[in-house]
Amino acid sequence: MYVQDILAKAREGERITREEGIELYRHAELLDLAEAANEIRFRKNPGQQVTFVVDTNPNYSNVCTIDCIFCAFYRHPGEEGEYTYTVDHMIGKFKESAGHGVTTVLLQGGVHPSLPFDYYKELVRRTRKEVPEVFPHFFSTSEIIGMAHGAGMSTEQVLRELWDAGLRSLPGGGAEILSDRVKKKISRLKGTSADWAGVMKQAHRIGYKTTATMMYGHLENEEDVVEHLELVRQIQDEGNGFTAFIPWSFKPGNTPLEKIIPHYATPTRYLQMIAFSRLYLDNLPHIQASWFSEGKKTGQMALHFGADDFGGTLQEENVHAAANFVNTTSTEECVRLIHDAGFSAAQRTTLYEILRVIPTAEVAV
Amino acid sequence: MNIRDRKLAPIWDKIQQGQRLTLADGLALYTTQDVIALGRMANEVQQAKSGDAVYFVLNQKIEHTNICVLSCKFCDFAAKKGDERAYEMTTEDVLAKLTPEIREVHITGGMPPDWPWERYLDLVRTIHHRLPEADVKAFTAVEIDFFHKKFRMSIEEVLRQLQAAGLKTMPGGGAEIFSERVRKLLFNQKIGAKGWFDVHSTAHRLGIPTNSTMLYGHVETLEERLIHMIKLRDAQDETGGFLTFIPLAFQPGETGIKPRNMFTSAIDDLKTIAVSRLMLDNFPHIKAYWVMLTEEVTSVALNFGADDIDGTVGGEKIAHDAGATSPTTIAKEKLIQMIRDAGKIPVERDVYYNPIHVYADNVIGKIPYLNSVPFHAHLEKQQFRLLPVVPRRMGVLAAQGELDAGLFSLMDFLRLEDVLEPLGWCIATRDQVKSVMLFSKEGWRDLEGKTIGITDDTATSVQLLRVLLEKKYHVHATFERLHAGVNDCSRFDAVLLIGDEALRHNKAGLDGFELVFDLASEWYEWQKLPFVFAVWAIRKALPEESRRDLAGLLERSLDACGDDFASIAGTHGRRIGLTEAETQEYLEGFNYKLGEREQEAIRVFRRFQAELAASGVGNGDSREG
Repeated sequence: MYVQDILAKAREGERITREEGIELYRHAELLDLAEAANEIRFRKNPGQQVTFVVDTNPNYSNVCTIDCIFCAFYRHPGEEGEYTYTVDHMIGKFKESAGHGVTTVLLQGGVHPSLPFDYYKELVRRTRKEVPEVFPHFFSTSEIIGMAHGAGMSTEQVLRELWDAGLRSLPGGGAEILSDRVKKKISRLKGTSADWAGVMKQAHRIGYKTTATMMYGHLENEEDVVEHLELVRQIQDEGNGFTAFIPWSFKPGNTPLEKIIPHYATPTRYLQMIAFSRLYLDNLPHIQASWFSEGKKTGQMALHFGADDFGGTLQEENVHAAANFVNTTSTEECVRLIHDAGFSAAQRTTLYEILRVIPTAEVAV
Repeated sequence: MNIRDRKLAPIWDKIQQGQRLTLADGLALYTTQDVIALGRMANEVQQAKSGDAVYFVLNQKIEHTNICVLSCKFCDFAAKKGDERAYEMTTEDVLAKLTPEIREVHITGGMPPDWPWERYLDLVRTIHHRLPEADVKAFTAVEIDFFHKKFRMSIEEVLRQLQAAGLKTMPGGGAEIFSERVRKLLFNQKIGAKGWFDVHSTAHRLGIPTNSTMLYGHVETLEERLIHMIKLRDAQDETGGFLTFIPLAFQPGETGIKPRNMFTSAIDDLKTIAVSRLMLDNFPHIKAYWVMLTEEVTSVALNFGADDIDGTVGGEKIAHDAGATSPTTIAKEKLIQMIRDAGKIPVERDVYYNPIHVYADNVIGKIPYLNSVPFHAHLEKQQFRLLPVVPRRMGVLAAQGELDAGLFSLMDFLRLEDVLEPLGWCIATRDQVKSVMLFSKEGWRDLEGKTIGITDDTATSVQLLRVLLEKKYHVHATFERLHAGVNDCSRFDAVLLIGDEALRHNKAGLDGFELVFDLASEWYEWQKLPFVFAVWAIRKALPEESRRDLAGLLERSLDACGDDFASIAGTHGRRIGLTEAETQEYLEGFNYKLGEREQEAIRVFRRFQAELAASGVGNGDSREG
């Protein structure tokens, strides 16, 4: 089937197959992809509007035993520079963030070998109670699996107890690329695609909302990308629990993987990924443009390639910073970037409810 | 194309019909929210002009001094003599920065109070002599105007002397934005629109092509940007001497100017590239200057109408980590990657935008003339990529093994017969051609001993002219090659033009040349044979499958055209001043099938060729212009 036929099919809202996906990814021209992706984006999220969230992305610990070769952030237990903060310390941080208008805390650590499960439950429970202004968006699937191992529980039990403590939303991190061929090479100890999918499915069944992510630009090929999206689409068919899909490109600085992949995946590739995932993930409502990981100008461009969300303001971030990739913004600048890209800016919650709309003052140029 | 913004649809219609866009059209384009449709329109226009090619050059930027008599508000480069930051480079300092692979030396700098005129001439002359491969592109209009005032010479005299020293082209800086309102606010020491255009049109008249720029993202309005473009478009209509347009986003830095935003948005950058591609319909190239535009936006801009990425400029800073590899080579690899990433083919160029190297496979040379439109109008590219290139360059590239197929000038085809295989298609005339024309002040027999300016675009027409002169009329004339780009033809006794340029002048006339001869009719009256100007061929080294694919694709394109040339080539024809009926008639005059009579014509021509070569008359006696 020719690229134009596949695009026409996607436009009409018909699902494209794996093979058609690979064909499209390999051969479609960038702006053809963008045009179709935009059409779907405006059908799903009408209006010249882009959402964003005021959030922060701190870490409770950098201790980790998984040794992913794409990560510059983690330290082994006992290694110089390792840290683990107390619950009190974290609550203090959240309160400070709430004072700056933050509504979402995306919290992740490493996969810590010895923190008791109560620590995590306490974090959730006290956050809900003591800092009700912020919504916890805590713990990647890898951490959930780590907690289950540590406490000798099933991941489902872990998820239920965290739910009872007040957790309602999980970040999609830890997916990297959901192709075991690649996962074995870059994160041997992190578990398989099925592990990630299993936790996500359990979470959705319980009632959690989560995001789905993808880290590309390392050892994957087109088929791995499509395999990843296919799995996300299947999970969504079952549980409808994903709010958004967030692709980002691998940042090679200070990582062992850097020696194999010395260059950033390019902005063109990112825009292609945004448009392509919008077309392939026909059952996801939102595609997030990550200005933070890709650069502000690329983030702006992505809003015209099928993305409808600009991610968070990220008051604090440590993981990319450890790879020498530093990008900061304020709420004000975030709004301006959206306005300058030609859209009204709508501040949302973690679960995509609109809090306020800041209309664009003038037609953007 | 699916256009979401209804305002854009009538504009796209206009573009497809070859109509010019107005200021109001430009505003509609600039203010659209359908950025992708705007990009696709610009990309399609760019494809028609430059195919899949994106041009880059191995160049080195030289700023010979930062000492400047002006103090412009927006400039944080200039220093005063005696400042700690002030520096001046000697000619030897400059030479030390130039590595052998450099093809273009870009020189601009401050305007120091005490440099003598000879120092500038020496700089240009020394580079020209010591590095003959490197062409000098030097001095903005502001600097030329400064020389004119300081050394009390006319602008023309300044340019003539620089040209004699070796200056080839000029950069486009100093244009800023052509608005008196803005000039008074920000650039009151600069020369303004009139001064800038005076310098550039004088340069074009002397055969010095130039670039053009626009500084945007400060206090100017959208209308002012569009007026700027329209002024450039008008000037280009008159001289044809602009090579490229370079939008430059304002960088506030330490300048003390407070623009609306600290930096232009990526969307503004992309829109500016796309709008300029659509407004400047008579500009061959639009440049995404990666150093200023950021690499992020540049790679995307190559899908929004830009076909020019500038060059290696100063090399990559990380070079010192890379051992023996030069900074220029590293920057070159990066540019190639950026261009490939955009889905285009990287083409290394010289100072005049002639392609030197093509970094891609399956590349077809595309003759940019009206007569080859039927081959391309319905051509499905499939695995092939297109590089528009004039016939002579196509021959050079094919000889280097950098092109896989194309419509080759007959002379090149004969020269490369060992490596090329014909595809059964050609451009042959029946009894006249109208696009290979000798514009002459004298009749044929009075051209004895005279000098004829010959097109730089092809060898075949030049050889046909030689055969006609020597064998039909028995006269001997001297040939002198015209520049690529702009020329002063008046000093010649006759001028040979081909392609669209010949068609345009065949209709409109060429000032000072009263006699016009059609070389194909001269040949036909004499030999009663068609003349084969060009032959489709593919490199023998390619698999048989590619040969079949391409021959089939060409046949399908021709079949799809049928006899209706006006509808596929009408727009192209209008661009060079032909009505639809004239376009139709012109294209009906060709035979595209390489048949028996065409083969016979090639044999006869080849025999004359051999005779001329044996008697020592041929390419050898034409002087480079």
